[in-house]
Amino acid sequence: MDLAKYRALFLEEATDHLGEISRALLLLEKDPASRDAIDLVFRMAHSIKSMAASLGYDGIAELSHKLEDRMDRVRSAGRVAPGEETALLFRGLQALERMVATVEQTGEAPPADPDLARELARGGDAPGDDGLKKKALTSSLLRRSRRP
Amino acid sequence: MKGRVLIADDAAFMRQMIRDILEAEGLEVVGEAVDGVEAVEAFEQLHPDLVTMDIVMPRCSGIDAVKRILALDPGARIVMCSALGQETLVMEAVQAGAKDFIVKPFKPESVGVTLKKVLEKSE
Repeated sequence: MDLAKYRALFLEEATDHLGEISRALLLLEKDPASRDAIDLVFRMAHSIKSMAASLGYDGIAELSHKLEDRMDRVRSAGRVAPGEETALLFRGLQALERMVATVEQTGEAPPADPDLARELARGGDAPGDDGLKKKALTSSLLRRSRRP
Repeated sequence: MKGRVLIADDAAFMRQMIRDILEAEGLEVVGEAVDGVEAVEAFEQLHPDLVTMDIVMPRCSGIDAVKRILALDPGARIVMCSALGQETLVMEAVQAGAKDFIVKPFKPESVGVTLKKVLEKSE
């Protein structure tokens, strides 16, 4: 794999996505139920996660995954809770911006802030029947991703 | 391995990575689409042997694009590009008619095995 080529693509696209997230969060401050803005943050976080995981930037992949999951729950709720939750999403964005900047400067990604990751993950539901099915398929996906 | 492939993914990074893997396997990339709507349009124009389809895309999701493509061509061969956390969506895509799925981050060898299996099965 041509790491330099992919790193340049990652930096360009991740920076662009973080800018999109920033604009969407500003919109959500004014309109916490904006479906377009909620979907956009979810999609951008998902995309950053996939790119980061492909390059082994585990900290960025972990934090963007937590942000994606959080936005999935926001989507189910139909709105961002104004105040504390909006502030938390901005903290997630700022942390990702710092981590991407570190990749640009050093070529390495720092680990995710465990406290921030925990806060983003807070509020998750315990798995019901659907959750158990998902866990079974997760095992299958993991086996496949590890297949040589 | 031979075949003409359409890549549908909203991230330029992922499209490039998939293209590199496919071309190393000897496959020809005949087109790229950045969302589900473009994927359906490109499928109609290019009639590829196989489509790699991301799930989370703007305008029209990968799952909706699978349904629309299969309505046009029930024999279409579509492989979903999934990530951990998308298990329910993968199940939905396979139930809708996707032939198989590959998991991000991609392992080139495993992608090659999956695509070869899908291409050979339908020949």
